[in-house]
Amino acid sequence: MSKLTHCTELLHFTPDDYWQHISITDQSVCQQCRTKPCLTLCPSGVFTWNLHKSEPVLVLYKQCVECGACRLVCDNINFSFPCGGYGVHFVEG
Amino acid sequence: MTMLKHWYESKKPKKPVHKPLPETVLPCKKYDAIVVGAGPGGASAAYFMAKEGLDVLLLERGPYPGAKNCGGASLIAEHTHKLFPNFWEECECERIITQQAYWLMTEDSILASSFQSLKLAAAPFNRFTVKRRNLYQWLCDKAVSAGAELHLNHQVDQVLFDEGQAVGVEMSPPNQNRFLADIIILADGANSLLAEQAGLIPQVSPQDLALYVKETIALPAEVIEERFNLLPGNGTIIGLIGHPTAGFNGTGSIHTFKESININVGMAIADFAASGIRPYELLERIKKHPLIQPLLSGGVSLEYGSSAIPEGGYHAIPELVHPGLLIVGDAASLVNGTHGFNLAMWSGFFAAQAAYQAKISRDFSQKKLSLYRTLLNESFVMQDLKANAKMAALQRNVPYLFNLYSHLANETAYQMSKVYTMPKKAKRNLIFKKITSIQPLTKMASDLWKVIKVIQ
Ligand SMILES: Cc1cc2nc3c(=O)[nH]c(=O)nc-3n(C[C@H](O)[C@H](O)[C@H](O)COP(=O)(O)OP(=O)(O)OC[C@H]3O[C@@H](n4cnc5c(N)ncnc54)[C@H](O)[C@@H]3O)c2cc1C
Ligand code: SF4
Ligand code: SF4
Repeated sequence: MSKLTHCTELLHFTPDDYWQHISITDQSVCQQCRTKPCLTLCPSGVFTWNLHKSEPVLVLYKQCVECGACRLVCDNINFSFPCGGYGVHFVEG
Repeated sequence: MTMLKHWYESKKPKKPVHKPLPETVLPCKKYDAIVVGAGPGGASAAYFMAKEGLDVLLLERGPYPGAKNCGGASLIAEHTHKLFPNFWEECECERIITQQAYWLMTEDSILASSFQSLKLAAAPFNRFTVKRRNLYQWLCDKAVSAGAELHLNHQVDQVLFDEGQAVGVEMSPPNQNRFLADIIILADGANSLLAEQAGLIPQVSPQDLALYVKETIALPAEVIEERFNLLPGNGTIIGLIGHPTAGFNGTGSIHTFKESININVGMAIADFAASGIRPYELLERIKKHPLIQPLLSGGVSLEYGSSAIPEGGYHAIPELVHPGLLIVGDAASLVNGTHGFNLAMWSGFFAAQAAYQAKISRDFSQKKLSLYRTLLNESFVMQDLKANAKMAALQRNVPYLFNLYSHLANETAYQMSKVYTMPKKAKRNLIFKKITSIQPLTKMASDLWKVIKVIQ
């Protein structure tokens, strides 16, 4: 069990099946992106590299904890909060 | 790195979008004030306005108050008590803090400084640990019983303007309606997208916003008390410096709750991006530390989480007063160190006073509302932030400060406590040599000089 799965198993979500609140504006930009900070910065592992596809960065938006960090390091990430009532909820403070 | 924003360019504010209201706005109720975000800032603003008889709507995107925030947390009793006398009788607190400690850490040592006193266990107390659900819910209950209307699951999509004057808010789906008011108070937290989108404030720089991760670990109350040397019901807060943030300036902490503890750690978003360190790896560094591991043994992990803290300090505070609109709390960057609850509550209180004055004079201009900024300036909120402004700059000038001097202090303490078969003077010389081998003397002197200039 990786450290990240240990973490994400300890989260509670109400996922929105109809609307994705985080997306990549232009996937071809990701092909050129050298350091790909999104892959390591996200505390919840939302962005994952997807070698053989035309869409190199997969966005696992349903496990986003809404910290807002990604929006500050990459212009190619289109961020907004999930709709009212959806997304992560913390119970332990 | 092509799309990686230049840290400084990202400060540029976006163009204001003042969307004209269509003629066909549904005849919905108009409020005196709308507050966006039911955190400590927003709920306090709503409470104090409702108490003065204003018609208040409080909007929160989460399914319950506190659902969207995590990490920490402790409440400074004095500031809270002045706004909400004897709050500890109403708000469910976890532990009375009787011990505060700082641990300077390296990979295998801890140099601890700690203060513990039973004097802190009596009213008016010093600090309490709190769970956010309880704190946020308590403040929301107060606002609602004072007459404010609270809508949960309501995500504000944008602020509506009429010729530059804020006049209402529009909700995102599934409640795609609008609410109107004379005054809008933005209390939407560290990632204040609303103020940013409206062009009222620049986008925060990734250098000024810190990303924190936390893990809550359940342990029986008696085990916590035994391991941390506490009387029943009493608690400790331990600041962790050095090793936890892997050489970057950042901090960690342990907060003790009734039957669990929170481990928190974080640093600037810019440092995470540049270093490639994964945030949860910092949690592992703490949990796996040989001297911390025994404190956690047998604990059950309950919850992981991550949230941001504005750390730009005084100089990062944007314009807080706009026509018909005020910004409070984290959205206004009002955080001192990692303390934000009190600044949020007090800024909410001051905003409520300005709103009340505006309401009785029917004047919602920027000039009239600037009473908010005046009250803030005269209070501990701005004075403390000003006093700490130099510390934030210091951390930027000496980015390795925390980690390096944590190493030095531990090495000194280690050498001092070690018994050598040599005379005292020789021992002192040896320690001096060991220390200066870690950091050359001239470098130390120049860092020390920077520190002195700030502290004096
Ligand atoms: C790890 C960590 C540890 C901390 N420890 C401490 C501590 O020990 N002591 C301390 O004093 N402070 C601590 N803080 C800081 C403290 O959490 C904040 O300063 C404080 O919560 C600020 O209150 P606020 O009301 O301004 O914002 P928040 O508490 O962030 O509340 C904002 C609210 O607005 C809602 N919202 C946001 N956008 C919208 C929208 N568009 N529509 C509707 N609702 C919206 C959010 O869901 C949220 O409920 C810590 C912070 C972190 C991250
Ligand atoms: S999303 Fe941004 S940071 Fe991530 S790979 Fe694409 S361009 Fe790079
Ligand atoms: S908001 Fe935070 S958790 Fe969500 S995708 Fe961005 S970095 Fe990851």
